[in-house]
Amino acid sequence: MARIEHLILLISFTILAITGLPQKYPANSFADSVIVFLGGIETVRIIHRWAAFALMAGSVYHLFTGAYRSLVRRERMRMLPQRKDVRDWWDTVRYNLGFTSEPPKMAKFNFGEKIEYWAVVWGTAIMAITGFMLWNPLATTAVLPGQFIPAALAAHGGEAVLAVLSILIWHLYNVLVKQRNFSIFSGNLPRHQMEEEHALELERLESGGEIWPGGSLQGVARRQRIFLVVSVIVGGLMIAGLIWAFTFEETAITTIPRVTREIFTPLGTPMP
Amino acid sequence: MRSFSLWLVGLIIVLIGSFLWWEPAAADFAPDTAVTLPQQQVSGDDRTDLACLLCHQDTTAEITFPSGETISAQIDLDSLAHSVHGSGDEALTCTDCHNPNAYRSPHSGVTAPDYASYRLEKAAACEQCHVQPHLDSHTQLAAAADTAVACQDCHGEGHTVQPAAMFDAETGTAVCADCHTEKDATTTDPAGLFNAIQYGLFDRQPGENYCLACHTQPGLTMTFANGDAVSITVDPDGLHDSVHGADNPWQPLACANCHRDTAPYPHEPVTAASARQFTLSQYGLCEQCHNYNYERATNSVHGDALQEGNENAAVCIDCHGSHEIPTPNEPRARISHICEQCHSEIFNEYAESVHGAALLEEDNPDVPTCIDCHGVHDINDPTTNLFRVRSPELCAKCHANVELMDKYEISTDVFETYVADFHGETVTLFEQLDPTAETNKAVCYDCHGIHNILPPDAPHAGIKTNLLATCQQCHPDATDNFPDAWTSHFRPSLEHNPLVYLVNLFYDIVIPLTVGFFAFMVFTDIYRRVRERVAGRRAAGGE
Repeated sequence: MARIEHLILLISFTILAITGLPQKYPANSFADSVIVFLGGIETVRIIHRWAAFALMAGSVYHLFTGAYRSLVRRERMRMLPQRKDVRDWWDTVRYNLGFTSEPPKMAKFNFGEKIEYWAVVWGTAIMAITGFMLWNPLATTAVLPGQFIPAALAAHGGEAVLAVLSILIWHLYNVLVKQRNFSIFSGNLPRHQMEEEHALELERLESGGEIWPGGSLQGVARRQRIFLVVSVIVGGLMIAGLIWAFTFEETAITTIPRVTREIFTPLGTPMP
Repeated sequence: MRSFSLWLVGLIIVLIGSFLWWEPAAADFAPDTAVTLPQQQVSGDDRTDLACLLCHQDTTAEITFPSGETISAQIDLDSLAHSVHGSGDEALTCTDCHNPNAYRSPHSGVTAPDYASYRLEKAAACEQCHVQPHLDSHTQLAAAADTAVACQDCHGEGHTVQPAAMFDAETGTAVCADCHTEKDATTTDPAGLFNAIQYGLFDRQPGENYCLACHTQPGLTMTFANGDAVSITVDPDGLHDSVHGADNPWQPLACANCHRDTAPYPHEPVTAASARQFTLSQYGLCEQCHNYNYERATNSVHGDALQEGNENAAVCIDCHGSHEIPTPNEPRARISHICEQCHSEIFNEYAESVHGAALLEEDNPDVPTCIDCHGVHDINDPTTNLFRVRSPELCAKCHANVELMDKYEISTDVFETYVADFHGETVTLFEQLDPTAETNKAVCYDCHGIHNILPPDAPHAGIKTNLLATCQQCHPDATDNFPDAWTSHFRPSLEHNPLVYLVNLFYDIVIPLTVGFFAFMVFTDIYRRVRERVAGRRAAGGE
């Protein structure tokens, strides 16, 4: 499940970044060549919006799987930040700098992963809201002050840079540079990597812990039925809302009307 | 005596013939254009000829000038009879040229100091009938008497005047070549002769004087087949004050510099059917010197319209004038007035705009005239996508110029803030990538107006007085808050667009902090890994 979500996120995020950043830096010639390569600014915008649609759909999907796992299967939400994460971070820094010889033992989701996850949640929320505002400025200004539009543009651009830089520096370092970690594609993590990054989870699993701890299958069938009904209704509404949001308003006329006027109106008097 | 009797009989026959056939020859002089040369009625009094010829046809008498020069008093009757004045419809009598009062026998002595002066004096007699300008240009040299050219020098001595047609022939060219031989011109070829005259002995044109002798006469008109009548009187002062005139820094132009084909007299008949057709046939003359601008104008919106058959399309002389060509941009307002000739409605709009008012009322040197936006000569079609997409650059030429705008306390942020915004960014991208594509994104003039641009805060009509209406031109569903979505060309600050300013500030702080944090973590991790590897290698080396 998480692998599919990651793939959706990976593809849509990359497309959004490729089609979005050149729009933020139109004066940059490389940005321009990207836009040319993709078929012009209007095409780029359309691609950007479809990618946004994919990202939104992926986010909805994630919300549903998350809801299913926590509400139906009653799994513990182990992605939530804990006090231990701060300690783990501090210990990691000390370990890296050589102040201690023991690395911290971290759980299934270590502090770095949690930072990333919540950064994505935060970033996606920001991007979705500001993106909607930019896409539908008339509807937005019917409710909010006009200044929210340029502010949304600023936030959309700022958040984009923040997200891309974070991914490039933090995520790609951790999964590609430091060591090649393709577990998100394969579903398997080599033992030495698990020892290094998730020692606590390894210990827990090896001591017979459940893969999905906290799950309770008691009455799960009933919850599943409820969930199915609710999710179909809510999901349908969300997809409808998404489509509605994407075709929300006719922001501007598509063609500036051409004004025809007589230009030859001679004076009939001699030249000055 | 026998030859005299024969001549007498011949003369009587000729005179009878003259009485029968002679009539005032005005029609023959009238050229195809409506130039009317003043005609003097010749007397046709044959008896004076008889009297004159009694002495002058066979004499050894000589006329002696004070200078000591002498000429024969004898008239070669054979030559006279074959001359253009001695035969045919236009035959003259002696007194037509030699004023009978002055020449009554016994003749008073000659008053001219020398032969050259005498010939110039006699040339005046020609002008009784022939108001021909080139005589003027040549006789003006009389100041330097030895180079003065009298009518007779070219057309033959008084009694052997050759018909004008002769000057079209090869022999005629040789006459000119007598003097104008400086250059290696082919004097037997009319065009070559012309050049020989133009650049020959005196390095002078058959200049204005040649042409102006006729063309300064008031009331000269040329009538075209369709009834159009245009004045062909040229104001010599206007000509001299023209950019091509006396003050021309390069060299003053003579008529023939432009009118190369029509210059020699008699002119070829004009074939243009109307005055406009004639104008259209003439503006190509400008190309001879101004080929660069000529070509650009030919490729302009005017040239295209002309190509498509619109005869009203402006050609060189419509804007610049023909004989009286002023410096087109002095004063600057003249430029826009020139365009007004054809585009008066647009001019009136412009005249009320912030730019037009400053130009016309204050002679402001900075505001754009028509050509600053539309170009000069190579005027582009302003209705194309290309023009639209590039128009912000056009405005930016002045409005992003700090030095220029400071004078008027106008912000130069307008262009950059426009480009930073959605509209401007899109248009800029279009301009760089696909400039001929159509875009519905606003450019400067969509909001500010085209010719009728007013200051944004102008009362009643300024863009600020009803910004929503301006937005609604493209965003019909826009509501009250919508105009504030536009940053009004202000860079975000606490004063203007504070929310944008704060968002930017937030990311200006958060991005470096986040990146710094991640970078720190990455570097500590690298530090540890490098340390471990070095330690591992040492341990391996130690074993």
